[in-house]
Amino acid sequence: MKRLNFTFSTKLTFDNYVYDHSFALRCVPPETAGQHIVSCELDISPFASTKQTVDAFGNNVTSGYLKGEHRFLDFEIKGSAVIDSDAVRDDYMPCYLYQSKFTKPDGAITEYYEKIKAECTAKSPFERTVYFSDRLSEIMTYEKGVTDTKTTAADAFALKKGVCQDFTHVMLSILRLDGIACRYIAGLACCDGETHSWLELWTGERWIGFDPTNNCSVNDDYLVLSQGRDFGDCAIDRGVMFGAYTRQLQLISSLLTASYY
Amino acid sequence: MTATVSKTDLPATPVGNADEINELLRRYGVKFGIYKNGTFKEQLFPFDPIPRIITAEDFKGIEKGLVQRVDALNMFLFDIYHDKKIIKDKVVPEDFVYISSGYLPQCEGVTPKHHIYSHISGIDLVQAKDGEWYILEDNLRIPSGASYPLIARELTRVASPGAFSNNDIVDNRNYAKLLKDTMDYSNCGGINAILTPGRYNAAYFEHSYLAELTGSVLVSNDELFVEDNILYHKTYSGGKTKVGALYRRISDEYLDPLTFEPQSLIGIPNLMEAYRSGNVAVINAPGNGVADDKGIYYFVPKMIKYYLNEEPILKNAPTYLPFYEEDKKYVLEHLDKLVIKDVAEAGGYGVVFGSELSCEKLEEFKNTIINEPRRFIAQEVIDFLDLPILDNGEQVMRKADLRAFVLSGENTRVWASGLTRFSRNPDSFVVNSSQGGGFKDTWVLSR
Repeated sequence: MKRLNFTFSTKLTFDNYVYDHSFALRCVPPETAGQHIVSCELDISPFASTKQTVDAFGNNVTSGYLKGEHRFLDFEIKGSAVIDSDAVRDDYMPCYLYQSKFTKPDGAITEYYEKIKAECTAKSPFERTVYFSDRLSEIMTYEKGVTDTKTTAADAFALKKGVCQDFTHVMLSILRLDGIACRYIAGLACCDGETHSWLELWTGERWIGFDPTNNCSVNDDYLVLSQGRDFGDCAIDRGVMFGAYTRQLQLISSLLTASYY
Repeated sequence: MTATVSKTDLPATPVGNADEINELLRRYGVKFGIYKNGTFKEQLFPFDPIPRIITAEDFKGIEKGLVQRVDALNMFLFDIYHDKKIIKDKVVPEDFVYISSGYLPQCEGVTPKHHIYSHISGIDLVQAKDGEWYILEDNLRIPSGASYPLIARELTRVASPGAFSNNDIVDNRNYAKLLKDTMDYSNCGGINAILTPGRYNAAYFEHSYLAELTGSVLVSNDELFVEDNILYHKTYSGGKTKVGALYRRISDEYLDPLTFEPQSLIGIPNLMEAYRSGNVAVINAPGNGVADDKGIYYFVPKMIKYYLNEEPILKNAPTYLPFYEEDKKYVLEHLDKLVIKDVAEAGGYGVVFGSELSCEKLEEFKNTIINEPRRFIAQEVIDFLDLPILDNGEQVMRKADLRAFVLSGENTRVWASGLTRFSRNPDSFVVNSSQGGGFKDTWVLSR
């Protein structure tokens, strides 16, 4: 068990005025058996009236609307949480067993899966995940700037390169081919500085976290912000706006500091 | 249920002044938009002056069967997005639900007012030569078409008033009232609005006509916004009016770019948050596609038994699921006699008649079925009752179906009319309007 202090902020700047701006944030960490949120404050600027709901996947959704013209949207969460990655979470949904938009395997992933499956002797879903991740880390390397938020598992696998989102999507695709239910997690991890993503696999009774990018188990240094079938369900911020802007700049920073509990 | 054919004393006579009615329809802009090879073409939906006649007795049976079916479908939708009892009890295999593109996990746990998911259901039926009615498919994602017989009846009254004073026909002009009652019953406080993607939409005529008849506001998405999880309509004076019920025909995936397809330009951002919060009724509810999936169709009679503990009154067309080994064997052996439907397609697309395939194509198709058994259903070809139509002044017989409209409000009610569509091609069984067919008025007799 560990106590984490977290700060996460996003600054979205437009090169011209925008208006009629609707947004949905999934950045307020959910209270679960694995993480007790001691405190969490959300600041949004410019001021927008917001409402919070819980979506089908268990995420806190903060929705808001900015009618008038503005050139930026900043939001920040600040708080602390007690993390216990050993605690049993069992909020299962059947959809996690099936491929989703970002994880849909193509011929190359399926072929690769058939190959590593034949060589896999592990039995339990967790051991199989560890094995598949070991294999994947032999051929896929971490590289920024070659993929973006629209990149699918199939695209990333073809490149054999990508960031945490891509590693997670490829692993989700492989695990679902293997009949293991699993979900995408967007969150914060110690020493990252940005957002991180990893996965959780279903053992048949509970969820266990696994980080395919770093090829390691998830411990108490990880804070979940949102969860779902893939990135599409978990995007920390989504927005639709009108205006003559041609570019938007997003700056993200996060800080996670731990103190043993 | 069985009925004797042609029990009516009414001869198959056309109502008078058909040309005038078609001319009036044209002037009213009664059109149907079709996208073909990437271009939008609007065409008249040809009206045939010989009405389809359904006896009072026959209609009573259909009505009972449809109410039963739609009630069960609504219970199924509630169950699927909540406890999933029907899956746990192994009545419907889980695969069929979760692989269906109509199943939306985003709707899990969301409960529409009064548990009504399918407010307006369009159930397609055909009558076989032996008089028996069969269900061909369920349309639970805002079926279109009610406006056509509605306006045709209106214009026939003008052009040929004698037809209605001489025959005992149930007045069908109550559709607007039924629809308004249905919207009012689910309304979460605020105005009723009908959302249109604009005049280049296949059903634009229908949307504007229904808005006029029900006193709803016809709106486009840029006139709507969500603030504090409440859906508002921008008024002309710069104010805002709360929307309590939104009738929409756009697909679920385009409904809210912040929940579904992010690229959607025709949706309303955060509509799902307003809906989840119980501040607006979305008519029909998102996620309904899981219940009118062609693969799920097979299980509807089982749903009726499961939820209502009743025997299904209306039969499905005999259907086989290649997903089941036994059915697959039958389908592969009898493919040349069956009609195969791709579960992902709608509007008469993806329908293949085995009898029309060459030996080579037949073998090819068998392999496709073996490789993707979940993708198809196979049905016996029903020997439809042909209906007379006027073709260049001559009476000829053509295949026709009936789309019945069932409205779920305080009670589930069947509109005593419907859209009878026919195929203009004498060899075709496909009657969908998107395939260039025509329509008839449907007369339900009052005695």
